Amino acid sequence: MFLFVVLAGTAIMLAVVTFNLSDPLLAFFIALLSMLLTITAFSTKYYTYLYVPALHMKKGKITLSATEPFTLAPSGTSIVRRDEDGIYASSFVTIPIYRSGTEMSAEERLDMARLFSRILTVTKNTIKISSQMYIVNKDEYIAKIRQKLDEAEAKFRALPTQQGMDKARERAEGEVTMWHNLLNNVSISKSEALITYAMVSAFGTGEEEATTLAYQRAEEVASGISAILGVSAYVARGDEVLDFIEPDRMVPVETVNEMIRQKSVEEGV
Amino acid sequence: MDEQTIIYLGISGISIFMLILGASNYGALGAPVMLLSFASLGVILVLNYADFLLFPAITKMLGISVLLSKSDTAPKEQNRVVRYSNGLYYATGYLTANIFKYTFQEEAIVGQDDQVMADAPGKWERIVMNVDFPFKFNVISNPKDIQKYREDLEGRRGFLEFQISKESQRDSPNAMTLQELQRKMNIMQVRIDRISSGELPLNSIMYVETTAVGVSDKAAADALSNQLSRLQTMFNAMDLGVTRVTGREVHTLYKLNYVLFEDSLMQKLFDKQAA
Repeated sequence: MFLFVVLAGTAIMLAVVTFNLSDPLLAFFIALLSMLLTITAFSTKYYTYLYVPALHMKKGKITLSATEPFTLAPSGTSIVRRDEDGIYASSFVTIPIYRSGTEMSAEERLDMARLFSRILTVTKNTIKISSQMYIVNKDEYIAKIRQKLDEAEAKFRALPTQQGMDKARERAEGEVTMWHNLLNNVSISKSEALITYAMVSAFGTGEEEATTLAYQRAEEVASGISAILGVSAYVARGDEVLDFIEPDRMVPVETVNEMIRQKSVEEGV
Repeated sequence: MDEQTIIYLGISGISIFMLILGASNYGALGAPVMLLSFASLGVILVLNYADFLLFPAITKMLGISVLLSKSDTAPKEQNRVVRYSNGLYYATGYLTANIFKYTFQEEAIVGQDDQVMADAPGKWERIVMNVDFPFKFNVISNPKDIQKYREDLEGRRGFLEFQISKESQRDSPNAMTLQELQRKMNIMQVRIDRISSGELPLNSIMYVETTAVGVSDKAAADALSNQLSRLQTMFNAMDLGVTRVTGREVHTLYKLNYVLFEDSLMQKLFDKQAA
């Protein structure tokens, strides 16, 4: 608001100045300046956060932050973000729901929807409830199959092509084909999973204050949700937290690479 | 229109109006000044009501991208957040999912709310079953101060009552105006009744987020647009106002992934959506 008052005030003053100027050309340029200042003043309503970074713009890039978007707190229960106004910590609550609407009667569905609305009121603080569908991470499984395939191929190549070794070569070839087929089958289809979680944040003057407060709020939300929905909601820790916020966790890299490879093979055929 | 907007528009309007008023001082340049003043007024109005069109247009024209953090960038189109990780591009886009129809926006039709609520889980499951890419449905909520909200509603109802009585006492009352005022009055009454029955008023923002992956920025952006269109079609079944988010709101939604601001800051966001 302060910036707006300064800029708009200057614009109005310039507009007044033009009334007393005898040189029309000078008055015209001052009027143009006044218009630009008025537009800039109005734009402060939404874009103040961009002004200072825009002054330091390099190669067409405005840098709002050159650091990572968050750090994981040592306790593993919160993520910490340093903003211009202080330190924020956010904690996450996993809500394991395994009930399906298709198995419920109309009345049960209505109750479920109402209970879901109620979980928005478990805390007097701001809360985010998210349902996230993500691709199941098969990276480790794919890597294991690929390792087995490499081993089988190496074994097959190492066998001499002499007579009498036909049966052993046949067996080794069969093993290579088996691992190939398994790898193809695994990567053909994506496996998706759905998870629901809640997020709460807290502001603090120090990291410890913010993380402790965020954790307390998350515990309160977990108890509230558990009581309302009848599930065992819990505060997520460590690696699990990253599943909720990192886009590359929603689409695991190996799984996707394998799918891209498979797709390009199919297109090639 | 909120108070802040009225102040901003009013003061900016005064500044422009003064330039128009003094157009005679500019001699032959009076006409261009008038023209430019009206154009400035137009830009201000666009900034206020449709800055999601203006800001991306400027950044696209000037080729400006915004680095939101070390690893995430909002490209010049300002319609997605891109991350380059492990040799792949991850593009994240957002859709607003305005669910106001389910709450206080319209007059409640008896029985309709229950039906909508009962249908919601089924519709949601159909969406989940038909989507084969990652997405998130987010609801951010914050309970309102019930006493303050009730007082505000009662104040507005009182003002409407005054308007109705004023219109009725006229020699020839306008039936259309009376009908409109009565309709607004009914909405207020429904809201007050809901609070009296124990319902807690909430501020809420709802949005859908999806991430697409590609071997290049363009491939990821194309896949993202495709995913967002599919989500738009599917969420239409839930009777939501679904629109792709562009401009500065992409920056805000990106931040909301990591932090929910203190209530006063969030309040500004809620107010904007409610407006």
